[in-house]
Amino acid sequence: MSRDDDSCGHGSCGCGDDEPADESFHPLGEDHEDEMREMLDDTEYDTELGMDMAEDAMKLIQGEISEAEFHEKYNEAVVEEFDVDDRPTVEAFEEAKAEENESIFQKLTGDGSVAEKLSNVDTEMNQSRRDTMKKMGAGAAALGLGGVASAQSSGDPKDEEYGAEPVGDTSEEGTQLGMVIDLNRCDGCLECVTGCIEENQTSTGANWMYVLTYEDDNTDQENFLVRPCQHCTNAPCEKVCPVRARHTRDKDGIVLTNYETCIGCRYCQVACPYGVNYFQWGEPDVPYEDLPGSENDYEELKQMPDDERHEQLVETNDHIHDDRGQWSDMRPPQGVMGKCTYCPSRQDGHQGEEKVGTVACMEACDAAGMSAIHFGDMNDPESRPQQYLRQRAEQEFERDTELDNGEEWGDTVTPWGKLSAFQLLEDLGTQPNVVYLGNEPGPDAEQVEGPVTYEQIGADDNRKEHLNQFTFGTGDD
Amino acid sequence: MSSKTPSADDIVRPMQSTQRWYYIVFGIASLLALGWFGLWSIQLQRGLAVTNLADWGSAGGVTWGLYIGAFIWWVGIAHGGIILSAAVRLFGMKRYLPVARLAELLTIGALSMAGFYIMIHLGRPDRMAWSVIQAYPVTVHQSPLVWDVTVITMYMVMTLTYLGLTVRYDINRLRDDLPSYLEPVYKMATLGYSEKEDEVIERIVWWLALGVIVMAPLLLHGGVIPWLFALLPSMPGWQGAIQGPQFLTIALTSAIAGVIILALVLRRAYDWYHILTDDIIRGLTLWLGLFSLLFIWLQLQQVITGVYAAPLDQRAFAHAKIANPYYQFAIGVVLIALAYIFAQAVKPHVFSVRRSLAASFMVLAGTLTEKVLFVFEGLEYPTFDMYYNVPGHYFPSPIEIGSLVGTIALCTLFFLVILKVIPVVELHAIEELRGEGHAPAEGDD
Repeated sequence: MSRDDDSCGHGSCGCGDDEPADESFHPLGEDHEDEMREMLDDTEYDTELGMDMAEDAMKLIQGEISEAEFHEKYNEAVVEEFDVDDRPTVEAFEEAKAEENESIFQKLTGDGSVAEKLSNVDTEMNQSRRDTMKKMGAGAAALGLGGVASAQSSGDPKDEEYGAEPVGDTSEEGTQLGMVIDLNRCDGCLECVTGCIEENQTSTGANWMYVLTYEDDNTDQENFLVRPCQHCTNAPCEKVCPVRARHTRDKDGIVLTNYETCIGCRYCQVACPYGVNYFQWGEPDVPYEDLPGSENDYEELKQMPDDERHEQLVETNDHIHDDRGQWSDMRPPQGVMGKCTYCPSRQDGHQGEEKVGTVACMEACDAAGMSAIHFGDMNDPESRPQQYLRQRAEQEFERDTELDNGEEWGDTVTPWGKLSAFQLLEDLGTQPNVVYLGNEPGPDAEQVEGPVTYEQIGADDNRKEHLNQFTFGTGDD
Repeated sequence: MSSKTPSADDIVRPMQSTQRWYYIVFGIASLLALGWFGLWSIQLQRGLAVTNLADWGSAGGVTWGLYIGAFIWWVGIAHGGIILSAAVRLFGMKRYLPVARLAELLTIGALSMAGFYIMIHLGRPDRMAWSVIQAYPVTVHQSPLVWDVTVITMYMVMTLTYLGLTVRYDINRLRDDLPSYLEPVYKMATLGYSEKEDEVIERIVWWLALGVIVMAPLLLHGGVIPWLFALLPSMPGWQGAIQGPQFLTIALTSAIAGVIILALVLRRAYDWYHILTDDIIRGLTLWLGLFSLLFIWLQLQQVITGVYAAPLDQRAFAHAKIANPYYQFAIGVVLIALAYIFAQAVKPHVFSVRRSLAASFMVLAGTLTEKVLFVFEGLEYPTFDMYYNVPGHYFPSPIEIGSLVGTIALCTLFFLVILKVIPVVELHAIEELRGEGHAPAEGDD
């Protein structure tokens, strides 16, 4: 487990769901357990104590032991190790039970708890999740942080709606790839736009990733809105598609277009409230032969056994087919709809293991030192976007308590409440999987020229003008 | 005006002789249609880039335009036509029996053009059949576009059945006067015919008519076609409950205008003044007035609710709409037509067939403009409007406008051909007219 964990999505850290012989107590598997052990080894605290507590914490979640028992069992050892046992006491637990609205996350972040310790953590963006975990130390491991939060909060009324938790329900089953985009970190450099165009070889003006610099009547400052596809859980584009070309991939919840069957009716573009679709009106700028993987035929691919197909796709560095052998990555062919894909051939490991869990725009954003885009499994409390959200929540809270000492952590104020998080056009019911941190554009928000223009990065902002040259009878021909 | 007695000879005349005008019109229509096929082949080759369509949002265009607008217009004419014909049979409006088959044929011609427009509109028409069929069991539950294809197919089948059943009576009785080279066609059409079936056919046709009338608001232009737009929350110009009634009235308005034009052209061409009488035109003109009035009324509802205190996105759209010169044109021509219709209702001497013809053309131009505008303007003003390039821009390109000319030419060709195959006025209508002497019964409608 010496891989750099910075890029760890669901796939590369071995925390998948395909380990039947796994004896681990932890729902995320043996590998994860080893990882925790390793982290504990790096701290000054007792590894075995941490692991035992973590194991019992899981039992606690399953209801096999009571919180009172759990408390009692480790009280002495904890006091010995940490000089103090700050875990929720039996009384606190009973009190908490009485208050139905209080969530486990509040307990976690209660006075003097794990979260408060966490709030002292250095939240520089270049630090890896692993570093954070190290600093969290035994406490985090003992409480099985992510595990507890997701397992117990599932029955919690506050999770039923998006209101309280900005990312929705982390207890949802399965993988749902999504993004947390911190608009406060964006400086409008358009590196993500360039990264996307280079990755996908999209035609002029088809800016799958798009950044709007905007002015709002309510604020004087320059604001940005980073707009990839929202990969909605309730995607209108998918619903209206007459041929099921637009679909959600079961494996990770990303919304893709099957370039093999799309008839180019453009109803998806009409139904999408965000305007993320870009049709291939004419011949693509980059010919098919120049796309990595063009030598593979999708019909042949589909007939291969899964393993063989995967091998073939990895060997050929295939960039246009996903692991199902479906042609749905990179720019679409003429007459077919395209949009941001969340780089399926990366997620499927065709670009090498190190690219799994990454997308081109995030990579470009990180490389530019901005790290505004955080891509990963929105249902996994340990994923990069979820970890980032927590980190930011705690950061925000920290800042706020300094301003107002009357507030009590976890009492009336929750960390999520401190976050200025929103989803775009949430009230249309699309259930987008992109969560924004920062200012939400108001009704009068108007796009203005950004600090870096599309012209400067060699992209085209107004595709209509570009397309005009191909119009028959009035164009250049 | 003629005082001739209508006879079976009158209705077979188109099949027995061919005048010069026929060749001229046929030639022109063929040329225009061929020209359009040439343009379409360019589009097939170079892609939809040859149109003025583009992506909405950051790209500053609209992704649906004239093709979809014209599609709705043709479907509207088609649905209106079959509703008209069904109403004649269902409510015993015998006065209009002479135009019933014309309305049915208009339905078939217009519906074919609508279907053709779906092909024209697609980026990959080659995949249409296979992709749609493959996914049909799932998509029929959720995609308005699939519902749309379903009802269009259904109505094509219903109308063809309708026509196929009613034409048996005529062919059987007029067989000797029909062109002999089409004998195999007539043999097929009258397969197993016996006079005993007439009564049964009449009843079947009545039930078919009932089905059409009942389903018109539910599935035709009052249902599925407007749902293509009305169900989407992202485009405030489209969303809302008024689209159903609005689409249905426009369909009927356009269809009645279409039937008036057809009737006037044919009566002049075949000297059918005693069959397609002034009285019929007068009556149809009044119906045109009624539906034009409904059209204007529903437009007024949308404008008022849009400009008074609507949510911002709807308000922006409503303001843009009333300020648009094409919208003003569409409403203007319908208002002028209405003014004429009202005047001739009050003072009968104001009526003239030429004026009714002009009113019909104006109404058709108005509804076509409104429909195309409805489609692209709706996309120009989305709810998410903070993009630089929203509202987008659109004006139909030459190829797109060419498609209109092409489809009108094709529809004309369809009529020119059908004139040579079956009687476009029912024998029943002639019998009805003869049974009641020269003067058709005064309005039971």
